[in-house]
Amino acid sequence: MPSPASNWLASARAVFTKDWRCELRSRYALNAIGLFAVTTLVVTSAALGPAGTNSSLAINVLPAMLWLILLFAAAAGLPRSFVHEEESHTAIALRLAAPPSTLFVGKLAFGVSLLLGIEALVAPLYLGVMSLEVASPGLLVIALVAGGYGLAAGSVLIAALASQARGRSTLFSVLAFPVLMPLLLLAIELTRNAVAGDAAGPALPQLLLYDASVTIAGLMLFPAVWNP
Amino acid sequence: MSSVSLSFEGVRRRFGRVRALAPASGRVSAGELLVVTGANGSGKSTLLRCLAGLLAPDAGQIEHLEAGTALSLPERRARIGFVAPDLAFYDELSAGENLEFFARLRGLPVARGAKLLERVGLPADRAAGALSSGMRQRLRWAWALLDQPRALLLDEPFQNLDVEGENTVRALLGEHLESGGLAILASPITLEVSGAVSRLELAR
Amino acid sequence: MTRTISLGLRGALWLVMSACIWGAFFYAWSDPAFVGQSSRILFFHVPMAWTSFVAFFAAAVWAGRYLWGGRQMRHDRAAATAVECGVLFGVLATITGSLWARIEWGAYWNWDPRQTSIVVVLLFYGAYLALRSAMADREVRARISSVYALIALVVTPFFYFIVPRITESLHPEPVLNAERTLDVDPRMFQVLLASALAYTVLFFWLHNLRARSQALIDALEDDPS
Repeated sequence: MPSPASNWLASARAVFTKDWRCELRSRYALNAIGLFAVTTLVVTSAALGPAGTNSSLAINVLPAMLWLILLFAAAAGLPRSFVHEEESHTAIALRLAAPPSTLFVGKLAFGVSLLLGIEALVAPLYLGVMSLEVASPGLLVIALVAGGYGLAAGSVLIAALASQARGRSTLFSVLAFPVLMPLLLLAIELTRNAVAGDAAGPALPQLLLYDASVTIAGLMLFPAVWNP
Repeated sequence: MSSVSLSFEGVRRRFGRVRALAPASGRVSAGELLVVTGANGSGKSTLLRCLAGLLAPDAGQIEHLEAGTALSLPERRARIGFVAPDLAFYDELSAGENLEFFARLRGLPVARGAKLLERVGLPADRAAGALSSGMRQRLRWAWALLDQPRALLLDEPFQNLDVEGENTVRALLGEHLESGGLAILASPITLEVSGAVSRLELAR
Repeated sequence: MTRTISLGLRGALWLVMSACIWGAFFYAWSDPAFVGQSSRILFFHVPMAWTSFVAFFAAAVWAGRYLWGGRQMRHDRAAATAVECGVLFGVLATITGSLWARIEWGAYWNWDPRQTSIVVVLLFYGAYLALRSAMADREVRARISSVYALIALVVTPFFYFIVPRITESLHPEPVLNAERTLDVDPRMFQVLLASALAYTVLFFWLHNLRARSQALIDALEDDPS
């Protein structure tokens, strides 16, 4: 007889696998996020040129631009995770079959892996196109992982809220912006420190605290979002 | 086999200004079938969604007993079998993969889905998005029976089925009732059903 | 009996608020040589900002009571009403603040840490109200918006750490703030405290009126006869 904990984990993994399987067959989010990221990359690069060679631009502007690209890419693809369940009426079967916490963890794992994958493509491309030299690449990776996690976790939680209301995609942006703003400010600060070669500073523990807070808040609040 | 009963008292629901369900009461025990009839808009689907725990009623009590103990709301959701017109599955996955996913989600043996698909006469490798409406209805039945529920909530369970399909699911319903399960069936038209049947007519 | 008490409370509130207005102009800084006349706006601006903070915190408490206190609609109505009042006081605080900023710092808007914070907080609760209006069903609306109010409670404290760091570079010179002047004049402190108290009571009174009228609107919707 398997333990409740391993059952719980198996359920969460089933959600994660199902989401990836559906995604790889429809390619909806991958196409939306990928095309969005490439388009914005081309536009910013055409407008700024190899801006990384200008050290003031490199430190003050480029980290913020990177995170704005990632924010909009996330907003283009991640809300679908829950919105599609409601729109295609699969949410009913899901409500009856799974305890909400396993569903949230499965969806969270899907969102985080999707966004980290996109970052792995977009960030090197961005550095190359902008000719941006990063003084501490290790810190940049930490910023991308910790920031990407928070961005995905916040987006998944807000997507769950927005999927219950009318005008889901517009509402998502309105709801997500204030929630994600501290995360973006912290991630930008950390990325700037990485580019400039400064120490991580207070932004890193605060970013990790944000990630933990959103995860815990999600686990506590999601059951109320998902079920009456 | 453990005994099961489902009773509800004064369950009602509004959607904004619209009264979707006037207070409804009823009771079903093991081996019994309750047929809920009423005109369009009388609240049959709303009642079933309240009983399934998918919708919070504005007022009223719902008691779902299994082996003498009352189930909590999450347990109720997990312990019912639900068939309804707006129940849908993942278009990107095949019928078999859909049931496999739900079996894994509930920690059930994966082979159970294949057996049920065979029983309702549905090819397991057909993508759910490419199923005809009658085949979708068969898939809903197979999904509802996956965890061998003791209580079935059936909203227009025979719609879109051909003669052979209707005979199959009627047989499934008969076996369910014979083995001591209960069922609540909602339909806008009067249905011919045999066995221990009680009726509830909803007024608008 | 309760009517008399309620009348007495309202009378007391009226008296205290009038006294605060009088105090702001004639009691605090009675020295006629005092130059910063515009600073008297502080006696209204600071209590407004404080009250909006109280209102948003109260909204989160009511939201929590809705979710974990038996899902009673009156708690959701209370939370929504508190947010509405909080936005009202927040907007008033922003307007009075930027008027004062124009006189003290020369511009209506300076992206000073406090200005930045209130904009973000107002965006948050603006989004809360937008979310409510996008849901027709009362039960779903109550659940989903309660969750959002609690998310706001989790996220907004981060601005407290972040905002001073990022706005520092824009405003290196220290700006005048309430705490610094508090030490200067005890009379000012007295008026400020009384005013903050009066505004808080005003909030609860407004909140009570609005929540009761909303309860009547809901009841009328349920039973139009």
